[in-house]
Amino acid sequence: MTTGEQLSFLVGEEKNLRQLLLDSDVLPLLQGVLAAGASCARLTDQEGEELWGAAAPGGRGELLAGFPILLEGEPVARLAVYGEEQHRDRLRPCAALLRVALDTVLRNNLKRVLTTEIHTSVVNSSHEELMRSNADLAQSEARYRELAQNLELRVKERTADLKRAQALMLQQEKMAAIGQLAAGVAHEINNPLGFIISNLHTLQKYVGRFCAMLQFYRDHLDLDLPARILSAEADQKWRELKLQQVVADVGDLMSQSLSGAERVSRIVADLKGFSHVDDAGDMPVDLNQELERTLGVLSHVLCGRAQIVKELQPLPVVTCKPQLPGQIFLNLVQNALTHAGAAPVITLSSCFDGERIRISVADNGNGVPSALRSQIFEPFFTTLPVGSGTGMGLAVVWEAVLKLGGTIAVADAPGGGAEFIITVPAGKE
Amino acid sequence: MIEYNEKERRMVLKLVYYGPALSGKTTNLLQLHEQLTRLGRGELMVLDTTGDRTIYFDLLPFFLTAPSGLKIKVKVYTVPGQVCHDATRKAVLQRADGIAFIADSHPSEAQSNFASFDNLERNLSLVGLDIDTTPLVIQFNKRDLPELIPEQEVRNTWGPTGIPVEMASALRGEGVAETFRTLAGLVYDRIDARFLLLGEHGLTRDRFLQQLTTLRGDGMEGEP
Repeated sequence: MTTGEQLSFLVGEEKNLRQLLLDSDVLPLLQGVLAAGASCARLTDQEGEELWGAAAPGGRGELLAGFPILLEGEPVARLAVYGEEQHRDRLRPCAALLRVALDTVLRNNLKRVLTTEIHTSVVNSSHEELMRSNADLAQSEARYRELAQNLELRVKERTADLKRAQALMLQQEKMAAIGQLAAGVAHEINNPLGFIISNLHTLQKYVGRFCAMLQFYRDHLDLDLPARILSAEADQKWRELKLQQVVADVGDLMSQSLSGAERVSRIVADLKGFSHVDDAGDMPVDLNQELERTLGVLSHVLCGRAQIVKELQPLPVVTCKPQLPGQIFLNLVQNALTHAGAAPVITLSSCFDGERIRISVADNGNGVPSALRSQIFEPFFTTLPVGSGTGMGLAVVWEAVLKLGGTIAVADAPGGGAEFIITVPAGKE
Repeated sequence: MIEYNEKERRMVLKLVYYGPALSGKTTNLLQLHEQLTRLGRGELMVLDTTGDRTIYFDLLPFFLTAPSGLKIKVKVYTVPGQVCHDATRKAVLQRADGIAFIADSHPSEAQSNFASFDNLERNLSLVGLDIDTTPLVIQFNKRDLPELIPEQEVRNTWGPTGIPVEMASALRGEGVAETFRTLAGLVYDRIDARFLLLGEHGLTRDRFLQQLTTLRGDGMEGEP
């Protein structure tokens, strides 16, 4: 039976003889009895209709033997063998043999058919099962694929988040450094400004006295007094106004104030140069000059506290954003100052080998343990107690060096302590 | 039911011996073949096996004729019990009229009994049969084993289901005919309700059972 494209069978469905036996199964057997001497051999169904038959020329002869043919134990046909009466004794065993042969063929064919049918059913259902599980697998594969894609997307999102956060931290660190710098510089400016203001106040008082003296002369000019009296009164007024001391003091006051104002002016110039507030975009930069400027803006922390050794050789200019070297040197010098011992000695050196610029900042502290060297440039890494450092200083340096197209490494300084070595390619005009 | 042909006055029923692997389904059929009179039953046909394991099925046909002339053929099948032959079990279960579930009495087999029964329940519903209305008998086989699940425990477990439970030792031929008779009785009840075996065909329950389950030596021995 076919349903759709598949063969399907009902196990146990009734079969008739014609479905189970082929002409090629039966006829040779019937022919065999004829060859043995029978005149006719037939297989008839239960209604007597002939299913298969074989007959020799000439008469049919007598019915010598008849047997029922059973299918699953049920009689479904009848075998009859005819021949001459005189051969009965010989032909009856032949007929019995024929029956056994037919039975055997029938039983084996039935088994084969049943086996084939159930095999087909099993194959069909296995196939369906496979198709189903195939569909399930395809579905779950699609699900996993989607998941994998989403995962990639999510990792990307998280990475971007992390990068943003890190960039923010770096920016905050820069702002904090600027804040510290601003506080130091404010203090530095405040000092001269303080005595300049105080001097101006004194000068204001002195100017009042000068004006009073001048007014005295104008008033007495009209009186036309004798020179002797005028001179005596003027002397008295001069003494009243203590102009002797004022005149002696005013020169100092002026020169002091001027030098104070010049100091402020110098600080502002340093700061301006360091921050490059007016410069946008890449420009040629002398790294030695930037190093000096950094020392300048840090003078308030370095002055009298640390010994600075400078071994600077002339360098070619590098073209870069002018703020970057300041960020590098500021953080490195501050780092050196933090980690140097009680009497800090910071050695700054620079040289050019014809291809690369090498700048090193060394301190006389305890140095960086080799186990930590791979971590110190990572954001948030710090050896300082919680709250003392953000762990971003060297990360800022790393980022800035990267932008310069250079590299940074840490080594042991010759006399102990840490040496940070920056190598920057020169020749970028 | 495999076939009901009113014109040819012929009915073909299917009974299936189900159960876990090696619980004695084929042995049951061998014993039925051995014990029942040749009158009314056909030859046992064992399809290909590997070793002693059934991989397709075994078939034992029975024949009887109602007073009305209705010829009834009952084909009794076994299924392969191994888990891997589920597709064959499903195929054999199609259009079954009754199930004998052959369980193994050995205590270590309790789990496979339950697993196989679950499998029967699922496969019945897959071939569109309802386990609550399909005639079903449970046989606890191998009662000759020295170690076995006590009968009381079996009855406590299965009693509440309302399914008849028979104790048997198929190897010794005990309980085999009884299981078959119980199943045949349930099948008669179910068929009679729909096909009026008694009303239309004059076939009583007793006669149905007697024709199917006459033991050797009860007389009536002879060629069909």
